[in-house]
Amino acid sequence: MSKQNQIPEVDIVVDEKAGVIREVKDERKLRSKSGHERRVNTAIYVILVLMSVIWLAPFVFLVFQSFRSYALESGGMVNYLLPKTWSLDNYRWLLSGESNFIRWYGNTLFIAIFCAAIQTVMVLSVSYALSRLRFKGRKLIMNTVLVLGLFPGFLTMITLYFLLKQLGLTQSGAIPGLILIYCASSGMGYYISKGYFDTIPKSLDESARIDGATRFQVFKKIIMPLAKPIVIYTVLMAFMAPWGDYVFASYVAFGSEPNYNVAVGLYRWVNVNDYQGYFTRFCAGGVLVAVPITILFMCLQKYYVEGVTGGAVKG
Amino acid sequence: MKKILALVLAAAMLLSMTAVASADYSGDLKIWVAEAVVDFTKQAVEDFKAAHPEYAGMTVAVEPVGEGDAANNMITDVEAGADLYVFAQDQLARLVAAGALEEVEPSNAERVAAENDAGSVGAVTLGGKMYAYPMTSDNGYFLYYDKSVVTDPTSLEAILADCEKAGKNFYMEINSGWYQTAFFFGAGCELTYDTDDNGNLVGCNVNYASENGVKALKAMIKLAQSPAFVNGSSFSTATNVGAIVDGTWDANAAMEAFGENYAACKLPTVDGFQMGGFGGFKMLGVKPQTDDDKLAACDALAAYLSSEEVQIARYNERQWGPSNLNAQKLEAIQQNPALAALADQLQYTVPQGQYPAEYWSLATGLGDDILADKLDDADDAKLMEVLTNFQDTAISYANK
Amino acid sequence: MTDLEFLKLSGPAKTAWKIGDFFRRLPGKIAGGCKKLGLGVVSLFKNFGLNIADLVQTFIHGDWKTKLSYLVMGFGSAARGQWGRGLLFFLFQTVFNLYMVNFGVAYLAKLNTLGTIETYKEGRRTVYGDNSFFILLYGVLTLFFVLAFIYTWRMNIKQNKISEQILKSGHKLKSTKDDLKSLADEQFHKTLLALPTLGVFVFTILPILFMILVAFTNFDATHQPPSKLFTWVGWDNFRQLLSSDTASYGNTFKQVLFWTLVWAFFATFLNYFLGMLVAIMINKKGIKLKKLWRTILVMTIAIPQFVSLLYVSKMFAADGLINSYLLKWGWISQPIPFWTNAHWARVTIIVINLWIGIPYLMLIATGILMNIPADLYESARIDGANAFQMYRKITLPYMLFVTGPYLLSSFTGNINNFNVIYLLSGGRPLSLELSGNAGYTDLLITWLYKMTVTDTNYKLAAVMGILVFVVSAVINLVVYNMIPSVKNEEDFQ
Repeated sequence: MSKQNQIPEVDIVVDEKAGVIREVKDERKLRSKSGHERRVNTAIYVILVLMSVIWLAPFVFLVFQSFRSYALESGGMVNYLLPKTWSLDNYRWLLSGESNFIRWYGNTLFIAIFCAAIQTVMVLSVSYALSRLRFKGRKLIMNTVLVLGLFPGFLTMITLYFLLKQLGLTQSGAIPGLILIYCASSGMGYYISKGYFDTIPKSLDESARIDGATRFQVFKKIIMPLAKPIVIYTVLMAFMAPWGDYVFASYVAFGSEPNYNVAVGLYRWVNVNDYQGYFTRFCAGGVLVAVPITILFMCLQKYYVEGVTGGAVKG
Repeated sequence: MKKILALVLAAAMLLSMTAVASADYSGDLKIWVAEAVVDFTKQAVEDFKAAHPEYAGMTVAVEPVGEGDAANNMITDVEAGADLYVFAQDQLARLVAAGALEEVEPSNAERVAAENDAGSVGAVTLGGKMYAYPMTSDNGYFLYYDKSVVTDPTSLEAILADCEKAGKNFYMEINSGWYQTAFFFGAGCELTYDTDDNGNLVGCNVNYASENGVKALKAMIKLAQSPAFVNGSSFSTATNVGAIVDGTWDANAAMEAFGENYAACKLPTVDGFQMGGFGGFKMLGVKPQTDDDKLAACDALAAYLSSEEVQIARYNERQWGPSNLNAQKLEAIQQNPALAALADQLQYTVPQGQYPAEYWSLATGLGDDILADKLDDADDAKLMEVLTNFQDTAISYANK
Repeated sequence: MTDLEFLKLSGPAKTAWKIGDFFRRLPGKIAGGCKKLGLGVVSLFKNFGLNIADLVQTFIHGDWKTKLSYLVMGFGSAARGQWGRGLLFFLFQTVFNLYMVNFGVAYLAKLNTLGTIETYKEGRRTVYGDNSFFILLYGVLTLFFVLAFIYTWRMNIKQNKISEQILKSGHKLKSTKDDLKSLADEQFHKTLLALPTLGVFVFTILPILFMILVAFTNFDATHQPPSKLFTWVGWDNFRQLLSSDTASYGNTFKQVLFWTLVWAFFATFLNYFLGMLVAIMINKKGIKLKKLWRTILVMTIAIPQFVSLLYVSKMFAADGLINSYLLKWGWISQPIPFWTNAHWARVTIIVINLWIGIPYLMLIATGILMNIPADLYESARIDGANAFQMYRKITLPYMLFVTGPYLLSSFTGNINNFNVIYLLSGGRPLSLELSGNAGYTDLLITWLYKMTVTDTNYKLAAVMGILVFVVSAVINLVVYNMIPSVKNEEDFQ
């Protein structure tokens, strides 16, 4: 109650011409802002620095732990931050081929590349069709996807597992199997790029059609060159997702260690009791996964921002 | 004439018998063992193939799937599961009920019964039938401690006081149904399930809702309140360890961490009673097979991997305590500190029987309530109510 | 209530009125829905009748090519020179016939029992019996195949009728070449959508239907194919999950549902407002190094969650870094029970989720804030509004208007936000007050996961999946019905 009283009474005036709800303020005047402004900015800087520390801390800690010497200290968890002996033991071990880490890394990279290619084609096909073409059943498709999206993804895990198994794509065939299930339904994620296509003026298509171009030619020659940002966004998302998937990857590949992805392999090192003293190795592995992805992401950040913003605005 | 015919017949029978006995198999075979013994098992398989030329052409894959995951994975998809796999004894009934275990071949069964300790033979038997080959008799827990921190390992109160003084942690996983029984069984309570021949649970014998149960629960609550106490039982994720209740699988980690102060002994007493718990076994199971030759190969390999020779070799490699009677008599094994501690603890334990999957989450529920300090202010009546609730739920699992 | 009255209400009152309004209109809507459904059923029967009549008419009036097409699909098309179409029809019929004879009929026949032959032993060899899983899966698939066949067969007849009419009127039929060409033009959507539709059907629709049916069977660890059979049990599983007698999970379900909604609310709105705040701070005039601040925050999006969240979860453990240092510095004497106490665990999760969510929202808000016309602020400033008032009257309404649909989908997304919970707390702590392996931080989705993977209790997991769907659908319906009024009220353009 008291808080409300501190805010001066405001009359709402609907400015009909502009269609804007604007407030007409009482006598509070513009004051000399410089002192006030500086105080506000300082406060903001303090907050931002604090936030940066909090946001970066886990990663910095992770890197510290990954450099702890395995031979001279311990590979397990410890209750201090800075290693007593710095070394590359963990990285050397990971890259020595003593574990399957390199293989897991390769598997994941393989999956990511294929997903990036196939998912992009699927997503762009669906979103282009739904955005630019008008045909019978278009609304039906969109509503069906909406309803299907309300079912939780893990519900069908067991069914997908046995479907893949029928095709021989589990355990030793897990890598192509995972690519198949990541890609098969990826068309359902058409929303963001459809939103992007919607913003490209229709007149472009129409003039090309008048010149005798087929719809395929319009798609290839006119729309695709304009869609570069959304293509990059789709590729980026499709490429990044497989690196973090633990649930499906572990369910499809169980019992076949060479066919794990990095997430499954590393997760097991810290969460399965059979592995003693693998914590620093987990950290080092995490760093090796995170660094290239982060760099890639930073380079393509612009497109990512465009994608999410567009997606959020369009819904 | 008749004699000759009989002789020929006998010879033919003999021939056919040897033919069956050495039915060679050269297809694939998959084995799941814990990560720590993958290389060891690979070597053992090679030795087996060298000794059995009829199986020389067999391709054997050894995958690291630990005892914890193996049973779950087998139940999820028997067909994709391993042909031979290691699991802890409490999973036996579940695996039999899910059709993931083949009976031990009769002649092997006789030998297993004769060569292994009685507890382990009992543990692989369900409804009079033997379903697995015992591998270790060390699936129990005891105390590892740092000699420079803990001066008197015989009493929990003293251990906690020492750890608090030294600023070290005392680890015990009291929210696990496995470690929890150290308190309840030690205080004189009972919790076992009866099974029928198919591995279904048909009855529950439990008396947690008793004075002894309340005594055990109080001891756990008191333990959880100690500043030195941390819930956990795995050396790899433990920090600043003064003492830990753990098993032989962590012996190497404990030796490394404690160095020359490494010591192990039976569990301490608490509130005047000796802590008890489960004594357990790890065993090797064979999956039901649709091919007779493959089944024969599995039988032979399982018998070899659980034999005296391999059990001793496994001890030498990983300090896993054998279930084989001859192996147990070896001097090195009798003098191993961890195994000695386990043997000492064994007299206070109950051989672990069959438990429903729901029991473990029920016990975790009780442990988590203690850890969340929900029972700190409870009086005896309230604790009795909690235990009665626990007991009724435990019984309800048997009557489904 | 008139629009003017509505505008004078305060924010919360508006929302309350809208929700109330939704429920006031609900009976009418349900009645309307029922009426529509009834009309739908009527028109379905009508259509069915019309179709039958048309089939008979076509047969009577059609030429011999058409008549033969009733038996041999595609014959008419092929005989009239449309080889491509004819061949496709014929191929489909052949595949269908082969499938039905070899598999389909056998699976369909067993669908009512889901198999009767038990697994048995022959000597020591195991002989597997019926596999209920595949009977159900292929049974459903076969049903679809039959429907698809009927539809295609009908199309085949219609095709004949149309072709006859075209020929009668003296026009020419499209050649196969024309058909192929049209796939890049008039029929381009078919080319684009063929593969994605097939993928979605096989790997999403079929599995979902299968799991819905599993909810009515006793498929669990003790009825696991291929060793054991499972069969139909009706509504038993729903009863076990929802009724509140002691052996059932009803009370636990309520508890988990409650936390799921609370979690989704905080994870959505707290992230939203704080993310917006951070964006406003970074974008404020006079703040330097804008790009640096943004980049630092955005790193959490790039790093796979199984690395960052697992690590953070260990940091907060009783013996983790945070407690260790706080103890070392003497700030606390007992470790803070981040993961063992239900309330602590819930708050910790929500707070750590800010660490994940703020950067995301910061990016979105940055993009949108830049689009707000600067003259809106200018005129407000001339009127003497302070920063907070401008935020409340311009920024916030604009953001809410533009991101309304996003908020909705983000809310549904958070209901199903598996990673954060699973990697941080794994649903713990458990309690004797909860049953079915559920913990105080479990969401419906993590509980579903536990049921599937840990307990192999597929029947309950299936019921849970259906319930998650119902919850999401209800929320979506309610909000969608409220959104139009939001639009009218705050239309800026």
